[in-house]
Formats: sequence, C-alpha cells, structure tokens
Amino acid sequence: MGKRVELMKTQDIRIVILRIEGTNCEDETARAFSRLGAKPEIIHLKQLLGIDVSEKNKRSLSDYQCLMIPGGFSAGDYVRSGAIFSARMKGALGKELKEFVEKGYPVGGICNGFQILVELGLLPALDETMPDSPTASLRQNDSARFECRHVYLKQENTECAWTKNIPNKKILEMPVAHGEGNFTLPSGLKEEQLKKLEENGQIVFRYSDVSGNTNAGYPWNPNGAISNIAGICNPKGNVFGMMPHPERVFDSWTHSAPGRRNVGTTGDGRAVFESVLEYIKEMF
Amino acid sequence: MGERFIKQNVPFHLTHVNLMDSTDSGLEAISSEAGVGLSLPEMKSLQEYFKKIGRNPTDIEFQAIGQEWSEHCSYKSSKKILKKFVFGIDAPQNISVIKEDAGVLEFDNDHAYVFAMESHNHPSAVEPYGGAATGVGGIVRDVVCMGAQPIALLDPLFFAPLDYNKTIPIGTKHPRFLLSGVVSGIRDYGNRIGIPTVSGMVYFDDSYLTNCLVNVGCIGFMKKSELVHSRAGGAGDVFILIGGATGKDGIHGVTFASADLDEDSETNSRSAVQVGQPILKEPVIHICLEAQKRKIITGMKDLGGGGLSCVVSEMAEAAGLGAKVELDKVHTREADMAPWEIWVSESQERMMVTAKPENVQEILDLCKMWDIPANVIGDVIPEKKVLITYNGEKIFDLGTEFLVQAPLYERPIKLPEPNESEPEVAEPKDYNLILQNLVARQNIASREGIIRGYDHEVRAGTVLKPLQGQINAETHGDAAIIKPLHDSFRGLAVTSDINPRMCKQHPYKGAASALDEVCRNLASVGARPHSFSDCLNFGNPEKPENLGIFHECARGLGYVAKALGVPFASGNVSLYNEGLTGSIAPTPAIVAVGIVEDIRKTATSYLKKEGNILYIIGETKKELGASEYYAMIGAKGGVVPDVDAELLKKSVEAVVTSIEAGLVESCHDVSDGGLAVCLAEMCFGQENIGADIDVSGISNIRPDFKLFSESNTRWVIEVSPENKELFENRFIDNRIPVYELGTVTEDNTLKISDSKTMIIDAKVSLLRKEWVNGLNL
Repeated sequence: MGKRVELMKTQDIRIVILRIEGTNCEDETARAFSRLGAKPEIIHLKQLLGIDVSEKNKRSLSDYQCLMIPGGFSAGDYVRSGAIFSARMKGALGKELKEFVEKGYPVGGICNGFQILVELGLLPALDETMPDSPTASLRQNDSARFECRHVYLKQENTECAWTKNIPNKKILEMPVAHGEGNFTLPSGLKEEQLKKLEENGQIVFRYSDVSGNTNAGYPWNPNGAISNIAGICNPKGNVFGMMPHPERVFDSWTHSAPGRRNVGTTGDGRAVFESVLEYIKEMF
Repeated sequence: MGERFIKQNVPFHLTHVNLMDSTDSGLEAISSEAGVGLSLPEMKSLQEYFKKIGRNPTDIEFQAIGQEWSEHCSYKSSKKILKKFVFGIDAPQNISVIKEDAGVLEFDNDHAYVFAMESHNHPSAVEPYGGAATGVGGIVRDVVCMGAQPIALLDPLFFAPLDYNKTIPIGTKHPRFLLSGVVSGIRDYGNRIGIPTVSGMVYFDDSYLTNCLVNVGCIGFMKKSELVHSRAGGAGDVFILIGGATGKDGIHGVTFASADLDEDSETNSRSAVQVGQPILKEPVIHICLEAQKRKIITGMKDLGGGGLSCVVSEMAEAAGLGAKVELDKVHTREADMAPWEIWVSESQERMMVTAKPENVQEILDLCKMWDIPANVIGDVIPEKKVLITYNGEKIFDLGTEFLVQAPLYERPIKLPEPNESEPEVAEPKDYNLILQNLVARQNIASREGIIRGYDHEVRAGTVLKPLQGQINAETHGDAAIIKPLHDSFRGLAVTSDINPRMCKQHPYKGAASALDEVCRNLASVGARPHSFSDCLNFGNPEKPENLGIFHECARGLGYVAKALGVPFASGNVSLYNEGLTGSIAPTPAIVAVGIVEDIRKTATSYLKKEGNILYIIGETKKELGASEYYAMIGAKGGVVPDVDAELLKKSVEAVVTSIEAGLVESCHDVSDGGLAVCLAEMCFGQENIGADIDVSGISNIRPDFKLFSESNTRWVIEVSPENKELFENRFIDNRIPVYELGTVTEDNTLKISDSKTMIIDAKVSLLRKEWVNGLNL
C-alpha cells in the first residue's frame, strides 16, 4: 500500500474547456467544474496553437490536468460532425495531445466533443492511443433528424475516470440533442470490435428504458447506436466521450422525468464531473 | 422633361435622381424603377425638399430615404394607433421599452432581461429556409446589440393547412414545403448558435396560403450595468463594422416587406432574401458581448432592415450627432457593387459599434482571434448630418433628422362589424367521436415532431421544457421556464399565443383573448406576467377595413395590458400581408414573459396521481364563436369569448399563489377545444392515468357547449385531497369561480358525465394516438 503524501486540492485542478466557432456548450460545461470548486478555463483553440493571439493569451496543454471538449456545432459541422475541429487540432497539436493522454490525464468530450474525439482517433482507440485516422464514427441518427429529448442511461463501467463515482448498473436521466449520434463501427469488423470494447470495459453508458432494459428500441435509443452505446472510453479509461449532456442535468430541477425533479436532490449529470475531479486528485 | 436618372462622370456607378424636373407620372416612375416603393405624395414632398435645397438627390441619398420611409422602418401607418392603445404602459420593471431595438426590463436588483420580436414573413414565403434562418439571426442581433446574452428563442408560425388540396396559385409554395423549410431554417440556425428554442406555436388557416407568417422572438439576459444603447457614443468616436461581408443579397428587403406578394415575387424578390451564416453569427455574439464587458465600445446596433443606411443614420440621430462615412472601407463580397447597393444591402451577420479611437485596436484584435472581419468605416461628427464619400468623391450629404423622420399617416379607417349571431347547432350524439376528432385537429394535435428538432436545453437553464411528463409519453406544457442565473432561483417563463380565427371574427375580443391566454399559460406554471411583445401581422393598411381591424386589435391589446399593468416591451408591425387570395387572418402574435419567484415551486400540465381532485377555475359560458368545435362542425357565427381583465388579474394571482404555496399538483389552461380537450391533454403526460369528471355543476348550458366552449380565464387544476380546503378558500375568498370536477383515476380512461349521464368514456391511449398523429408532419 503506497502512502499518499498529499492529494491535489480541487481548487488547484485546472481544466481547459476548448472551443472554436460554433462550440456552444462551453459556459455550462465550465460552470459544472467551477461549481465543484475546480478551475476551468474556456479558451479558443488558437490560444493553444499560438495563432492570432497576444503572448499573454497563449496557453499550453501542459498548463492543465484535464481537457474537455464541449458540445455545439464546431465550424458549423457542415462536413462531418467534429471533422474540422479535429483536423485543426490534430495537425498542430497531435503530439502534445498524445503525450497528455498517455500520461493519464483525463480527456472528455460531450456530444460534439465526443464526435471530435472519435474523429481524432482518441476513441475508441482499440489498438493505439491515437491512430492516424478515425476507427469509428457517429453517423446520422436512424430517424434522420435532430432529436432533443431526455433519455435513460445505464452505467456499464465503473473503471472509467469520468464515471467511477457512479454505481454500476445505475440508471441516469439526461438530455440528448443531436442529429449525428449513431455510434458505428467499421462494417466487417463490427462484431469483433464490439466484443473487444466489451472485454476492455470500454462501454460506459448504454441507452435504456426506465427499468434498465438496454434493448428497448427507439426512442429510448434515440439514434440507433450499435449495441445501444451512448458513451465509451479508451482502454485505459481516461479518454471518455458521450452523446448525452451531463452538464445540462447538474441540478435536479433541469431533469424532466416525474420523480427526478425533487428539491434537495442533485442532478444525475453531476457525478460525471465529480468522478473526473476525484480521479485527478488520486492520480496527480 | 429630362432624363430620370442622370449618370455622373465618376469612375464608379453614381446617378443623380432627377426629381426637380419630374412630373407626377415621372415621380411615380422613378419610385417604381428605383424599387423604393414610395407613394406619389411622398415623392412630391421629397421633390419639394430637394427643390428647396436646390439640387437633385444622388441615387444613394434617394435609396436611403426610401429605406427610412418604408413602412417596415417607419411604422408610418400604424404608429398613431399604437400610441393611442399600446405604447406607454408605465410599470416599475420598465428600463427601456418600445424605444430601441429591444425592450429592457428589470429581472432583479442587478439584472435585466431584454425582449424583442420580429416578423420575417415575405422572405420566408419566397425562400422558407433562408427566410426563417435570417429571421432568427435578425432578432438575435437585436438582443445582442443591447449588450445581452440571448437565452431563449420563440417562434410563432402560420401556414395554410398541411392537407391543402385545392389549386395552389402560380408562384406560391405548398404549405407542407413552407413549413418544412421554415422549421428546418429555425432549427439549423438556432441550434448552431446555441440558443434554446423553448416556445412557439404553429397555426393553420387557409388565409396564409400565399403569405405564410414567420415571427421570431428572442429573450436576452444581462447585468444592468452592461446595457448598451443603440446610439453613437460621442463626437470623435469611430464607427466599426463587424461581421460578414456586404453583398448584393437583401437589397430592398424592407421595401419588399412593405408590399403585397404576387406571383412574380419568386423571380423578382429573391435578391431581397438574405443568406444566413450561423457560424459567423456565433463568434459575432462572443465578440460583441466580450467588448461590452471590457467597456471598450460606446454604442452598438445591429444591421437589419435598411442595412448600413438605417444603422448609421439612426445611431447618429439617436445621439443628436452625425456621421462621416468612407464607403470604400466597407468590406464587400462582390466587386461590382454600386455605392447605393453597399449602403442599403441587408447582408446578414453584421454589427455596428462605435468606440473611442484608443480602443479600436483591442476590438480589431478580438475580431481577428475569431476570424471575423472588422473595419473602421467612419467617424461620429458633431453636425447633425450624414456625409458619405466614395473614392474621395462626396456622394451623400443629408441632415439626420430629415432622413429618419418619415411622414406619419392617419389613413382612413372602417371599423369591423363582427357577426356573433348564434347558429343552429344540433347536439352531437357521439361525444367520444367529437373529442377524438378534436384532439386530432391540426390546430390542437401534438407539435412534438417540430419541438424535438429544436434544441430547447442548450445553455442548461431550461427548467420547464416545452414537452412535459413521463419520458416518451410527454404532453404539451403551457410555458417554458428558464433559470438564467446559477446562484438564484428566480426564473423567467415564456410563452406565445394568438388565435387568428377569433381575431378574424371579432378583432377586439380576439386580440384581448390572446393576452388572456398568454397570462393563463404563464400562471399555469407559476409565473406572474411581466411583459409582452407583439408582432402585428395584418393586411394592406391602405384598405380602410384592414386598418379598422388593426385598430380594433390594438384596442383589445391595450385594454387588457393596461388593466394588468403589464407593459409591451417591444414589438413589430408587419403590414401588406396579402397574397393572391386576399388579406391574411389578422394575426397579432403575442409573446409573454413572466417571473417565477422560485423555480422549485412551479407546476406542470400533466396529471400526477390517482385520487387527486380536479377543479375548474373560471366561468364556462356559451362562447363558441371561432371555437375549434364550431370550425370542425362547420358552424358559423356565435359569441366570441370576451375578457374581463379585472377577473383575469385576480385569477392569475390566485393560481400563482396556490402554486407557490405547494397546493397544485398540475395545472393546464383551458383554450382551443375547450374543457374536454384540456382534460385529455392533461391525461397524455403519463401512461395509465385518467380522470372521472362530472360537469353538472359548472354551468347551465348544453353539454357540448360546456365541454367545447373556449371562454377565457379558465384553468383545470389538480389538488391533493389534504389540500382541498386550503385550495378552495383561496378562490372563494377572492370571489373567483371554482368548481370541483372530479378525480384523477389510474384506469387510463377519460370519463365525463353531465347530470348523471355518461357523455364521454374514452380510452386515453386511443385519444393520445389521434393527438400524436393529427398533424401528419
């Protein structure tokens, strides 16, 4: 048993919330961290790349213990969701990003952020930390339309840095709001890769109905994702992406389902942010 | 007689408009050829002015006047009527109402909300996707330019019925095409800029066939100290144009908005519809709000109708100052634009700010980081003039007051004479069937298919959603609630409504009923009405009967708002909504904002628990004129629901305080389709719930009138048995009618009896299916 000398204090944890034009969930994502006592900073990707910004506004990934990519429509998502953001990032920041992940620092993506992590290759990352090209995708919803609705999620993994505080098999309620959230693996390799994801414990959240049935069909699974996958992590558990929005149910009053809006309880999304802060305190 | 347009010998396009030598017919020809849409009397008063100053206007001067004097910019037909009824309602929450791009009202000691509404009707009829998207863009700019962060969007929409099967006139698009384009336009724009679309309405009526209506509202939020006015800072400041390039799109948008649509609108007016770019807009919002926080700008106004022309002259005029502009500094998209085109183009995603010279670099740097073009285009000057040069050549020199003071009209009015005679209506034999058909009516059926396409939760502040209930079994909510501050439980409730059929039959009562309904909606969730905004969509005001309808609607709005002491924060008038089939139904669309003292004490619209008691608040009268029931069975006439504003005021207060006291389990207002539809909708929000109702005691009228009357100021409220007395006393003590209706059951049936006879016994799941599929989107 190693003797821990001193845990990192929450107020010393710095989280970079990264945005470009069209990112639009940065404020509420930052607020989730700051309300837990940590120090989030919303910065433009150009501040990490050192383009068009003054010396004092330049930032480096190594200034932070956590990278978070929030939701939105980065660069309009007119190409493939997240494609432009990830291309701008990978070119100039790829090496640093890979090191950041390999050191065990947590990286999270919500909605468009998840799409960007998949585009970067950081998820599912079955064989290496960050392959040159993406190995999965978040395709258009089966319903062929944007869907804003509340869903139930079943926690399927307690090892992931971002969900370690959530009891196994717990049912959570969160909103989704996306047009492209249909998690898909390459045809031909589907079965094999799905098995691998399962074995590695990379499937973090599955869509379910209120009773926890993860095979309840549309609209419980709002996009048609394979194996009802709503969120995954890398094999190491420090890179995590999910389509639903935990930052939108940080408090009970933004829940929708009867019985979950009770005064005095916390929102189901809070545990995601609490988990990663605790992970950072334990690791660094 | 000389040439009408005299070309000038300069290395760019410039003509002089020959007003001085023109006859009356020449003046009319000039107005039409230049596309400014000014009438002969207006042209003659211009001619007189230029004769007095001894020269002809340049084309750019002439176009600028055309913009400012358009109905859209000047409200020249409507202003006097609005002043009489709607403007000037004094209330302690007013910070700045009616005067600027958006109304500003107090939220709490330190914060204000900003509220604006606008129409984008004609562009949407020609190009629904782009027209609706830029409508959203425009209203968001109106809010941002006050220094506020937009926090909610709302969109009342009006189309011909989706199953319209008669011949569609040439040049008109099918309502299904229009609805799909408009909804997609709002969705793609609103979702991309990250502002939740939390409320709205879709209404169907034949009269919108050739002229659909797209109204958009936006709520913003800010610290009071961050309020910025739509006027130039001070002499010596510079004008900085921020945002998209100026192109040939959107030229004559305001003139287009102030004319009737015809079959050639498609070909002639496409250039009047702008192109929206949400991914330019999103950073522009960041830049403007960040600059305002850093206090490096002195004034801000968005470029909307009339483009640079309106923004520069109005900012200068509002400050009692002038402007000197170098037009070649404007960053253009096309190379061959004439100066006048640059000046009046309504290209989207542009903002004008004024700033002190020492802060210019900081603003430009901020823009650069977001890759947004920005240019200094001129100076604020002390003389009350607008001066423009192009390539060093002076091309514009007019006084600001002359420019923005359009003539006001008192046009002839013919007041309507509503028909309220009672039709002969046989009592139905099968009430189940009537109810089943009513819930499937296009104006009642579920809007879920539209609502789900809008992100109504982004910004994480949407406490009550537009759809409420058990997940995947939700029903419509009456109003949405936003919690704008994370460290305060105070909330803003928003809702919108109008019943054009009522306004068509009885303009005064129809408009008054719209205010009654938005207040009911707000009270249903526990919010007190705090401010209104109106988008007044009417036909051509030059027809006396249209102006009479406008007058009566304004009177109805004024009566209720004044009695409640709730101000109109802002508004928009859209006239000339005429198509090939005549004027649209009068449509004074209303958006209302209410304050929720504590968002933890609110009510939702769906039934909660078996054994609870159901009440109806308010009197059910034989008021079925313009009701959904009469429309469905083809009955004409009948008394249109009236409003007693004093009763409304105290009823709203009693409902809200009951909710705040925790006495209310659910609450839904009675509106389209009457009591029966209200009860059905309340049953839709959970599986396995129903109600057992007896309407004997609520009124002495025939059962169908009791069930389907649309009398105002009514709610159905669910109360737990232990709160029975406390609840009843709140209403009895205030002399507000309250009747017990029955109980909530768990057998998934809606049973309604009258005088011991069962008249409705319907499976809720079956009604729900009809309601869900009624719209057939």
